[in-house]
Amino acid sequence: MKSPLNAFRSSLVFRVTSTIVGISIVLVWLLGTVLNNQISSGIFDEKLKLSISDAQSSARNTQIQLTFSQYQDKAALKLIFADILSVPPQSFDSSAREIAVFSDEKTKVRYRFTGASNLLNSNSVPEAFRERTKNSKNTEWDRVEMRYFDEKIEPGIIVGHNIKISGAGKYEFYVLFSLTQQNQTMSLIVRYLWVTGAALILLIGIITFFVLRRLIAPIRNAARVAEELTAGNLELRMDIRGRDEVASLGYSFNEMAVSLQQQISRLENLSKLQQRFVSDVSHELRTPLTTIRMASQVIFAAKYKFEPIVARSSELLVSQIIRFESLLTDLLEVSRFDAQAAVLEIEEVDLVALVRETIDYVHPSQDRVIHLWNPENTILVDVDPRRIRRIIRNFITNALDHREGKSIDIQIIESDNEVSIGVRDYGIGFAYTDKKLLFERFWRADSSRARTTGGTGLGLSIALEDAVLHQGEIDVWGERGKGAHFVLTIPKFAGGTIESKPLSAQPD
Amino acid sequence: MTLIMVVDDDQDLAEMLGIVLTGAGYEVDLVSRGDEVLPIFTAQNPDLILLDVMLPGLSGVEVCKLIREKSMVPIVMLSARSDKQDVVEGLEAGADDYMVKPFDPSELVARMKVRLRRTTADISTDLKIGNIKIDQIEHSIIRDGEVIALTRLEFDLLVALAKEPGRVFSREALLSEVWGYRPATDTRLVNVHIQRLRAKVEVDSENPSIILTVRGVGYKAGVAGSSQ
Repeated sequence: MKSPLNAFRSSLVFRVTSTIVGISIVLVWLLGTVLNNQISSGIFDEKLKLSISDAQSSARNTQIQLTFSQYQDKAALKLIFADILSVPPQSFDSSAREIAVFSDEKTKVRYRFTGASNLLNSNSVPEAFRERTKNSKNTEWDRVEMRYFDEKIEPGIIVGHNIKISGAGKYEFYVLFSLTQQNQTMSLIVRYLWVTGAALILLIGIITFFVLRRLIAPIRNAARVAEELTAGNLELRMDIRGRDEVASLGYSFNEMAVSLQQQISRLENLSKLQQRFVSDVSHELRTPLTTIRMASQVIFAAKYKFEPIVARSSELLVSQIIRFESLLTDLLEVSRFDAQAAVLEIEEVDLVALVRETIDYVHPSQDRVIHLWNPENTILVDVDPRRIRRIIRNFITNALDHREGKSIDIQIIESDNEVSIGVRDYGIGFAYTDKKLLFERFWRADSSRARTTGGTGLGLSIALEDAVLHQGEIDVWGERGKGAHFVLTIPKFAGGTIESKPLSAQPD
Repeated sequence: MTLIMVVDDDQDLAEMLGIVLTGAGYEVDLVSRGDEVLPIFTAQNPDLILLDVMLPGLSGVEVCKLIREKSMVPIVMLSARSDKQDVVEGLEAGADDYMVKPFDPSELVARMKVRLRRTTADISTDLKIGNIKIDQIEHSIIRDGEVIALTRLEFDLLVALAKEPGRVFSREALLSEVWGYRPATDTRLVNVHIQRLRAKVEVDSENPSIILTVRGVGYKAGVAGSSQ
């Protein structure tokens, strides 16, 4: 299960849907608030209007009632007040309607009376409102809490009047209307608003989600197809339905895939052609070269019969044919690397024995020019012996070419997983700046220097390719007049990589 | 006189080979098509065949297989490619040795001499390797009273191992002793022939008891009567 944050980051559908849902929540909330305010103030205003007119008519009736009874005695007045307060507990809209009456303490009143209808506590009428009513000649109103003796409290509207009866005194006459009914209506409306709003948001969310998914499906499809193409399944194409923008994306995508496939197969063909060419050149050149070589050697064998100039020419002919041959061999090897057709043929061999044999091959004389350290060791490695032999041979012939009469040291040092072979000479060396150039094809340290041996100029670049094929590396150190050190490091086991180097090219 | 059959479609090369080999004292028979080899071989019965890999009519590898069905005559393949496939295919088809063009003619002659020489070893003693008896006079080997046919090269390889039972031969040492290589270069030759030889002489070639592998070094002869 993806964490929501991750889902938000990785899924466009999720991100857009949640953004749209968020925006709709805010909008629905704003709209709901406005509606709520509008409706509740409308309901309240209506109630207030009816309440005021109801209270006014009640006040007028009471005034008339009291005016008629102004000359009666206290007992009669008491009855009248009881009658005034004994209003039915419900009003026009079946919500509670109560009456409270206060006689004015300051003016002289014939019959002092303070009371409220039914169970209403007369302290429901706030002092501040009473003050306002007393000083006013008109109808006054306010919101109020209606407190009952049975602890019930209801929100309500209070409407106040002064009733003045000449001779009898001044009374405050209050009618209180409960807003319970309106509040119930409002809460019902609010509940409907909530439900409608929530349903609306849910609907928006779902619609957005599915519309987006529908829209994004071709994009996902494109991504999947692109992945497959990358993985090498070049035949795969997108499904296209209809003729809309999405379909045109599909068409363009498929066109791209077709063009990619064509390019790749063209390059593959080129590479195959190149390999074929190399192979053909190999065959076609080698057969006549064999004939030439044999002919030259027959001529060479008979050179004592020739004049000195012809005899010398036959010598040159033989040596140059051999040089041409090694050049051809190296060139073919290089093209094989370039065509990536070079393959390792791994065998388990004793590297020390291999180096020993290579030394004997390159320098068969017994004059101890080359010193191999610890020649009796056995180091078993998985390598392509032909290639490793070629690298070592190249190092040694280079050292022999440049040793300036000094000796050559060869070290083979192993660690757990790697082995290094270092060929060190103390001859002319090379400039540090030439270090990188050493491995370039046909590069020569000093073009003015006469070639002592028939090197092809490809040896080190082939050696480097061979090393890389073994997951190995070649390190070089050299200094003018102090000699050079070439170190090959390879993993001991097939498929391994180099993690450390047992031997450094930098001399101590 | 020793008769050498040279099979190559390149007329000039074949002629040149003829000149060189005649100079070395051999009689030479030139053939230019693969499908002509077998009838001429049957008629002339040469002592050695130099066989090019790429031939019109029938490929060198095919020709090699056909000849091996009838004869153990030494075959040296001539290949223009040093790629693994060509060489190994030729060797597996039964060639004893191969030369990659362009080769040094003196090396070719040297190798041919090794292939042509009669085993000049001390033929008075009977050699044993594992449970196998080698009859050097009859040029045959016998396992459990049964004669096994070997090419001359395979016979030489087995004799080389059997003559020094305690010695571990490196591939390079075998190359120089049996093939006459100086210096040793391509050890694939040894691997392929050891495999072919094992397939013929071992009871279970997956678990050899006659030609034993010494890891990282090479091969040695199995001890008589022992079972690995």
